[in-house]
Amino acid sequence: MDFHTDLLVIGGGMAGLVAGTVATEKGLETVLLRKGQSATAYSSGAVDVIGYLPEASAPFISPEEGLTAIAGLYPLHPYSIVGYGEDVSPEQVVDTIISRTKTAIDWLKEHLSKTRTPLVGDFSSNIYPITILGTTKPTCLIQQTMYPADLEENEESTLLFAGIRGFPEFNSAAAAKTYLEDRVALSLPPRKVAHCEIRTTPFGETLNLSQIEIARHLDHNEGLEDFAAQLKDHTDRVGATHVAIPPILGLRNAVANQTKLKDLLSAHVFELLGFPPSVPGLRLQLALEGIFQESGGKMMVGHEAKSFKLKNGVVESVLAQAPKRAATISAKAFILASGKFIGGGLTGDENGIRETIFGLMTVTGSYHSAEDILPSKSTNRLAITPEGQPVYATGLTVDPNFRPIQEEGVEWAGNLFAAGSVLAGYNYSVEKSGLGVALTSGYSAALNVSDYVKEVSK
Amino acid sequence: MGESEFDVVVIGGGSTGTAVARDCAMRGLRTLLLERDDIASATVGTCAGMISSGLKYRREPDIVRMCSREVVNLNRISRHIIMKVPILTPFFSLEEVGSSTDYVTSYANHAEERDVPEMLFLTPDAAVELEPKLNPDILASVYYEEFFIDPFRLCMLQAMDAMNHGAIVKTYCEVIDIETDDAGSVEGVVYYNRVTGAIEKARTKTIVNSAGPWAHKVAEFAGAKLELRLNKGAHVILDRRVVNVGLVLKALDNRWIYLVPHENTTLLGTTALDTWEDPDSLVASFDEIEYLLQSFEKHVPTIREARIIRTMAGVRPLVPQWNMPEEDVTRGYEVIDHETTDNVKGLVSFTGGKLVMCRIMAEDATDLIMKKLRRTTKCKTHEKPLPGNEDDVDIVALSKEYGVHMHALERMRARRGTEIVKILELTRDHPEWKTTICTCEPIIEAEIRYAIREEFPQTLNDLRRRLRLGTGPCQGTFCTYKAAGILADELDLSGDDFLVDILDFRAERWKGIRPSMRGEQLAQEELAQGMYACVGNLDQSDVDYDIKPWEEGT
Amino acid sequence: MNEDEAFEYAKTTLKEERITQYSPTEQEVVKSVESCINCGLCIQHCPVIAAVGVNRFSGPRSIAVQLSRSPPEFWSTADVVYLCTGCGTCKEVCPKNVNIPEVVNMIRSRIFDQRPDLVPKGLHIVREVLTKYNLAFEPWEDLEEKIESRDMRLERLGLPYIEDPKLSKADVIFYPGCQAEERSQEVREAAKVILDYFDVNFAVLDEMSCCGLPSVLMGDQDTASSLSKKLEKQVKSIEAKIVVTTCAGCTSNLSEIAERDGWGIPTVHVLEFLAEQIGFDRLKKTFSERADYSDVHVSVHDPCHLIKHTSRQVMEYALAILRSIPGVRVTESKAHDSCCGGGGLVAYHASDVANAVVKENLEAINETDAERIVTPCPLCTAQIESNLFKTGSSVEVDDLTVFIAQRLPRG
Repeated sequence: MDFHTDLLVIGGGMAGLVAGTVATEKGLETVLLRKGQSATAYSSGAVDVIGYLPEASAPFISPEEGLTAIAGLYPLHPYSIVGYGEDVSPEQVVDTIISRTKTAIDWLKEHLSKTRTPLVGDFSSNIYPITILGTTKPTCLIQQTMYPADLEENEESTLLFAGIRGFPEFNSAAAAKTYLEDRVALSLPPRKVAHCEIRTTPFGETLNLSQIEIARHLDHNEGLEDFAAQLKDHTDRVGATHVAIPPILGLRNAVANQTKLKDLLSAHVFELLGFPPSVPGLRLQLALEGIFQESGGKMMVGHEAKSFKLKNGVVESVLAQAPKRAATISAKAFILASGKFIGGGLTGDENGIRETIFGLMTVTGSYHSAEDILPSKSTNRLAITPEGQPVYATGLTVDPNFRPIQEEGVEWAGNLFAAGSVLAGYNYSVEKSGLGVALTSGYSAALNVSDYVKEVSK
Repeated sequence: MGESEFDVVVIGGGSTGTAVARDCAMRGLRTLLLERDDIASATVGTCAGMISSGLKYRREPDIVRMCSREVVNLNRISRHIIMKVPILTPFFSLEEVGSSTDYVTSYANHAEERDVPEMLFLTPDAAVELEPKLNPDILASVYYEEFFIDPFRLCMLQAMDAMNHGAIVKTYCEVIDIETDDAGSVEGVVYYNRVTGAIEKARTKTIVNSAGPWAHKVAEFAGAKLELRLNKGAHVILDRRVVNVGLVLKALDNRWIYLVPHENTTLLGTTALDTWEDPDSLVASFDEIEYLLQSFEKHVPTIREARIIRTMAGVRPLVPQWNMPEEDVTRGYEVIDHETTDNVKGLVSFTGGKLVMCRIMAEDATDLIMKKLRRTTKCKTHEKPLPGNEDDVDIVALSKEYGVHMHALERMRARRGTEIVKILELTRDHPEWKTTICTCEPIIEAEIRYAIREEFPQTLNDLRRRLRLGTGPCQGTFCTYKAAGILADELDLSGDDFLVDILDFRAERWKGIRPSMRGEQLAQEELAQGMYACVGNLDQSDVDYDIKPWEEGT
Repeated sequence: MNEDEAFEYAKTTLKEERITQYSPTEQEVVKSVESCINCGLCIQHCPVIAAVGVNRFSGPRSIAVQLSRSPPEFWSTADVVYLCTGCGTCKEVCPKNVNIPEVVNMIRSRIFDQRPDLVPKGLHIVREVLTKYNLAFEPWEDLEEKIESRDMRLERLGLPYIEDPKLSKADVIFYPGCQAEERSQEVREAAKVILDYFDVNFAVLDEMSCCGLPSVLMGDQDTASSLSKKLEKQVKSIEAKIVVTTCAGCTSNLSEIAERDGWGIPTVHVLEFLAEQIGFDRLKKTFSERADYSDVHVSVHDPCHLIKHTSRQVMEYALAILRSIPGVRVTESKAHDSCCGGGGLVAYHASDVANAVVKENLEAINETDAERIVTPCPLCTAQIESNLFKTGSSVEVDDLTVFIAQRLPRG
């Protein structure tokens, strides 16, 4: 059935859900279309704000330091866009960027604190959680279950990496060695490190275990108790004060489980950052969906934005296609948060890079047209380097209000806004900035939409 | 004989080198095979695996006869790694139909011995029914059947069989010099062991130079001259089978090219470009990819809808016939006895040849060596089955017995034949090794550990050749780090080595993905970057990563 | 050989090599599955994996990226591919919406063709019934007994009997589906009560025949095709503008067939008909006319064939309709959109798996404290009802069509 709403958000990851929630909180009637889950749902569950400058090797000490650098060197970076309000003088740009980002981060922390997936971390410094490879990476916010407590500060700490038999995603021995060798290379104080393997059997077998099965198993008391009992043998044996486990602490009861384990083991258990499909990513996705719906937003799952109607410089409506039904949704404003190549917001072949729904102008990371580029020419010979692969910095370029623009620099439609990884000008994999950009661009776009809708409703 | 003294040293572990090592070892010669990288890491590792009937070389009837016979031999000794592929060649003009009679006839001459039909003519409707993707605008088509082999397994099994007969096979050992006496006769080889970093020697009076595109450089070590025509060929690999039968047809420049289903992928190939560059640095070019796609677009209009997962490129060491296109160069081979040509006694080289001929090339060379050594044992390589081919395998029964899904076993059977039981037995003590590590193939942990223990891989890329690790649509995105953990475990590697293994394999996969990056692979690589760079932070790792030959330059 | 003999020879080789060409619709499915990036999100949401684990059912990810790549190997997927309930959760959460359920059907069709010995025996039995009776359930031998059973149900449920209209042409065709026709007759009757109440000009088929979904699910493309042709003929002869059904599976399957074969008319579930053709205003007014309503606390189960194969909006309609009935209190169960395990023909050969899948639903239902579960699908009704019964629960299960019909004003 066709209907009308104030705001239609296209895309249900961090950017879309944050934008939708902020708009609903500002009094807008909001509908969100989602054709599938995506990067947010299988992310590691940590919220990166800014870890590195593109192509650089020294991590930022804090998001604040990073944003200052970005604002200076990359004026069209999605983080920098918020610094271009009409009422912002040139001297105020950096401060505006920093304060807006901080507001968004506080907003997210505050909202998630009421869910089963609270975040810890601060805008004032980056933290370095350990990954399942044993490496570390800079990030701003992690889930409480990933918080390693006083691992770094406590000089007497003994860290135990606990792997699980039949769970191939985590090799505790390799991770332990990597972690130790990293510390030596960085001249960090030595640490006692051990590794072990325990058994947990969600379905009676110790093979082909996946993160989700184990997490669901630990959501049940018997599962957690058995897990704790086995861990205890090892923590007692090595005198572990801290235990690093893969991200399987639970889907619903992870925080409670962490507390229970602390009591049972007298050691602080924390989750490592994991690879897709990661349970903490799913927790984050579910928590954000809950927040959106609780604020009054309406989600239309399984619907894809297939086509649109444009009239007099504004988008009138979008056709939302479900498997066998369709609905035309008209709205006063639209936010496009459709993702990059994974999410399907962008697509590319030997004829160039295209935005898939509205056919908006796409640009490269250096703001040249991406409409004719050959994707393979937008790549590096080396696979994994701090330069990253330039093709992943392509996307939409926006005006200070986060509205995608056309070649002449004019907004494509007065009421179409964009947020998240569909934006150009940043490479989240090497900057470590993915969910941060999604959060702040979604937050900012929603504020702008709210102003816009109130304006046109007069 | 001392520990480092050999009757024969074979340089090069490709299809010919491993065949030679096998033949020599089977005939009782104390044999050493030295391969500078890994078995099947060069030319044979980038070919389509067609063991052709020799159709292309119909102007050389002797070669056609030889090819046909070798197909029969290979089927006899290694049926388990061979697949039969039906092929269609469409015709668009009467002229084409007319000019086809000569190869139809020469094909028919030997079809029966290979147990395949002669070339059969089909109506356009019939052809389109067999292969709905075909452009129906055809006049007629011809149907025939060819065989394909897994080239990695062939080389590996030949090497294993050589070892079973007492040969020593050393990978990562690069020959850096050949020692000769005052008369210029071969005395031994000097080689650099890339794993230990040591320089080692082996004494021998006979060297077989099967170094493929580097054979001329190896010959130089002994002061001999060898000329080759080096020619680059590239393939595009599509995910899953997208055509039912192989299609062989004429490209934009009238060369014959093919699109064939190959295990669980589809191969599109191949190109031909004379080359003088370092073979290790070659990657497929955009032009080569477009050449193949555009050539096929006329006949299979939907070809660009298929998902391209990667490309591969290698160098053919052709017999040095110039002043003609690559197509017209003979695919026969030459066994060059440098005693006669260069007065260098004890050095035998190869030029030319095709995958299907590797066994007969080895037989000829080994016959020559035996004669020089005054030994009389006859060749048996065409009779004795390669390991794994001794019997049929009952997948349904094995699945029930060991509790592993049938599809995983079926894919393992295609690599292992009867050896599959040895791998499954490992899971009795370690049921957790039934865990799937590569979800695209699939490959279970037991087979990875078995390969590490029995088949001497040093890197994940070596494992890829043995197991097809990382050859699926995700191109190792998800198995790289898991397999690296297992390799680290089995070889007791340091944390740094564990990370370097991951980076090395990602680099090797990227080598083939990058030239054809588009469509679904853009999303796939975004995910890979998200994992290894964004989460793993490997882009900032300071481990000792060696820049690869194809990564050099801007 | 002449050209015909050559063609036969070639076809024989293809058959030996277990190669069956993709039809044009299948090529679309193959194109969809080529987009899989192996991310594994589907694994996190698959209800069968949640119930029995990845080791038993390697899941949608393996179906997309491993099992479906090489047709000559499809036979070896037989120990995995029949455990899929076809719920479509994987497709819905997938960033690329890879059409796993259709890939499953395609693989099953090749196994059916090439290795019928590997098709689970339970499915062969379904096929026998279908080919013999053109119905998915064996029809009553004794029509009088059938009518007796129908009347008993009507009496128990307080529904009037509305005669089958004797029209050969009508605006609307009511299609009950095999289960409502032969087993849960109350559903068929309830729909007629509703359509009659709203003065809808509807007809029923002269000869009820299956929409073919079970055939599709077991890979029996020939039977599926002949059934859909048979149905098309009857539908066209009635010259209706819309087909209305009470079964979720029929809704999605008929929508698929109608689009594929160009029927030119929509096929909807009765919930959609009520929401879109009758309208919420009229519905609300209608229900409020009934003074003797009683309070009832219900929870809802969303059939996968509606929410994931048709549209989530259909169950939004269901909630809206329920909320417009006085006395009805709805508590959403946290597993309301989780597969009940009744689909994919899994219950016919691996009932342990099907029953493990539904456990999550049962737990969630108990948490709601609802007295009744309503769901607009006879298969889901049967699956949930029998499993609830086994746990000793007192929660009762109603088909939503029946529930609505019971609450229409009398007279």
